[in-house]
Amino acid sequence: MAQHKINYTQNGGLPVALTSIDKIVNWGRSNSIWALTYGLACCGIEMMASGASRYDFDRFGTIFRASPRQADVMIVAGTLTKKHAEFIKRLYDQMTEPKWVISMGSCANTGGMFNTYATVQGVDRIIPVDLYLPGCAPRPETLQYGVMLLQKKIRANHASRAQKAKRLM
Amino acid sequence: MQVKNRLSPFFENITFDREDNEMILNFGPQHPSAHGQLRLMLHLQQEMIVKAHPDIGYLHRGMEKMAENMIYNEFMPTTDRMDYIASSSNNYGFALAVERLIGLEVPRRAKVIRMMLLEINRIMSHLFWLATTALDIGAMTVFLFAFREREYLMDIIEGYCGARLTHAAIRIGGVPLDIQESFITQLRTFLDKLPANIKDYEDLLDTNRIWLMRMEEVGTISKEMALSWGCSGPMLRASGVAWDIRKEEPYELYDEVEFRVPYSDKGDNFARYRMYMEEMRESAKILYQTIDMYEKTVKEGQTELMAHAPKYVSAPKLDIMTQNYSLMQHFVLVTQGMRPPVGEVYVATESPKGELGFFINSQGGPYPYRLKLRAPSFWHTGILTDLLPGHYIPDVVSIIGTTNIVFGEVDR
Amino acid sequence: MRAYKPKDDVQKKAYYTDRFYVSPQVPKFSVEDDEVFAHDLEAIKAKVEVLDAYIQVGQMVVFIKPEDNYKVLELLRDRCEYTQLSEMSAIDWLAKSGGFEIFYQMLSMNKRKRLRIKMFINKGEAVNSVEKLFRSADWSEREMFDMFGIEANGHPFMKRILMPYDWQGHPLLKTYPLQGDEFAAWYEVDKIYGKEARDIIGPELRDTAKVDRYDSERFARLGHEVPKGTKITGNEPKNEQNYQEEGGVFMIKKFDKKDSVVIDDPQR
Repeated sequence: MAQHKINYTQNGGLPVALTSIDKIVNWGRSNSIWALTYGLACCGIEMMASGASRYDFDRFGTIFRASPRQADVMIVAGTLTKKHAEFIKRLYDQMTEPKWVISMGSCANTGGMFNTYATVQGVDRIIPVDLYLPGCAPRPETLQYGVMLLQKKIRANHASRAQKAKRLM
Repeated sequence: MQVKNRLSPFFENITFDREDNEMILNFGPQHPSAHGQLRLMLHLQQEMIVKAHPDIGYLHRGMEKMAENMIYNEFMPTTDRMDYIASSSNNYGFALAVERLIGLEVPRRAKVIRMMLLEINRIMSHLFWLATTALDIGAMTVFLFAFREREYLMDIIEGYCGARLTHAAIRIGGVPLDIQESFITQLRTFLDKLPANIKDYEDLLDTNRIWLMRMEEVGTISKEMALSWGCSGPMLRASGVAWDIRKEEPYELYDEVEFRVPYSDKGDNFARYRMYMEEMRESAKILYQTIDMYEKTVKEGQTELMAHAPKYVSAPKLDIMTQNYSLMQHFVLVTQGMRPPVGEVYVATESPKGELGFFINSQGGPYPYRLKLRAPSFWHTGILTDLLPGHYIPDVVSIIGTTNIVFGEVDR
Repeated sequence: MRAYKPKDDVQKKAYYTDRFYVSPQVPKFSVEDDEVFAHDLEAIKAKVEVLDAYIQVGQMVVFIKPEDNYKVLELLRDRCEYTQLSEMSAIDWLAKSGGFEIFYQMLSMNKRKRLRIKMFINKGEAVNSVEKLFRSADWSEREMFDMFGIEANGHPFMKRILMPYDWQGHPLLKTYPLQGDEFAAWYEVDKIYGKEARDIIGPELRDTAKVDRYDSERFARLGHEVPKGTKITGNEPKNEQNYQEEGGVFMIKKFDKKDSVVIDDPQR
């Protein structure tokens, strides 16, 4: 076994940082936002692209998880149809608190160009949304910026208090 | 915080204790390897699938209905969202159908540019296919590699039309823009690198034991089955029918370029994988030839990009800005839409996924009376009903992967 | 006076058509012009009655009686080498002649020919399923049932395919509005939260061009965000758009533009 000797008086002093609970919890939450893969349509492809080589989401601590129980944020990427609506509600309910929702792209925001009988006119009719990203489809840069804004939003929370109930019912 | 709702507890996922020892497994509609929103009801005996029931429609947005309420040019961006991996090929399929309906001849330079876009889209689509399928089977490296190459192509396309994914780069009657200055150089750089890249992927996959076990002799589609299910594109060619619409019913300038049509008589996953790899090489070959053709049109001074048909196509921007009549005609075409002749047309093009057909019934009005989109993936999903029984659960993922279905065009 | 809107076709109409406008026709040619098609037509004529046949845009169109569809498709597949049914669907002619036109788009790979079989059925009639001949008709006929309500006799699983099973109405009928009826408008709300939630969630916003800057319930004005539900007066303070707090946060430095390098070459 390797022996580790730590000299507390050298190299920057004690390996201890003083902070408040709020800060440390928020730091942890905001820097490991695991996203639920919710690629529904075209935006899902851009979401994949932002997870892939060029845009590399992992450096934000954002890793795509396939299970709602391991995810913190649901990125609704694409058109939500009426047939699918109940499933998004189910998966949202299955996510553990605290949870956030990013609505990515025009279709998820408002129904977008699909002003038809089969499309839900905005995912916020089903689940509460924290962040709306415009674009059809939004570029990966937009999603990255959105995630950074979400990090900022998380940091503004008081970690010790329960999350305020969001809209909808 | 659970919010109360009307949804009953969802235990449909697993049903135990059936008398015949059959288990029903629900796969999807939000499964990471379902390539979209496919839902499969699988009846299982142990690990073996005995009955499969694909359920689609989770991305049905009513495009055909939209088409009946839109003028022809207005519908063009909507076609982008069908097969969103290769948008330009949808744009092209629709544009070609309308052009055949009104009998429009497109200038040669526009044809060359269109062909470039189509083939770039084909390579993009196949790279994306490779990336996702490899990821589903566990080859993360190939995913990262293929996405890296895809980004180069996306840059080129972005330079041309400004969009990465939803191009809307083709108009009825031609193309709106000439290619940008850096297009040819960038494309050449990419194409020169492409064979080495494809070699990289093949080195990673072809002799990989896991890859071979998941691919070889899995998901075999016989020739009769492929024909009966209306398969097309790589799915059909992997099953032993050398049918490529670009070759057999040439559109654009495909009769002037040289390329081979790869096909295989194995019909399994591995044959389809080889098909995609070979097609990328052929597309690269076509792209080299189109670059030469483009340079020739430049030399000969053919600068026309849109067909001259005042009844259907707006005049060039310069004319609209300077000439009264062109402005009036442009105004009418934009506000009221073109009115194609009364008649019907069905035009099939070879999209990266297979035969993409547009059936248009026009009654002489500015809106199509009926527009039916024949999307190849629809039948490639349907074939899962007959294909999956007899396979094991892990094979489902690799079979869905190699069928290359995109739910934008399955559900439309 | 309110403009008259026909109830049997609620799709969008041209708002102005010149009185003297006569729309041109896509030319139809006689089948005799093409040797292969003439031969195929002979084969069909020998078996069933053909109502009309012509060539349009390079493809033969044959009109037959609806009860003959199975026979004709079988003949085409087995004798005339039309091995693939590429597409089939219906066209709604209820407003004009009280029925549907059904087309089968066939492809022969050996002859490199495509032809279209068409037939006309009245409202409420069913067609014979051709699922036994071409498996691809399995899903097409289900889609046709889903979209138009035309049933196929002898189909093994005649259920909706694209819309949910509990959907009401057939979307591609001309009587069905693009944005859906009352049932469609509240479908997801009724299903998930129940009818009593309609008032809370509110109706769908269908006007795509609607922008209301005094509405803080839906979207916030970029750069002038206020808490949800606040009354907006128009002189909200400007919020600096910044993805990170000034001076950085715990353990993370703020990005400084001066210390960074811009890479211009995307192909690097």
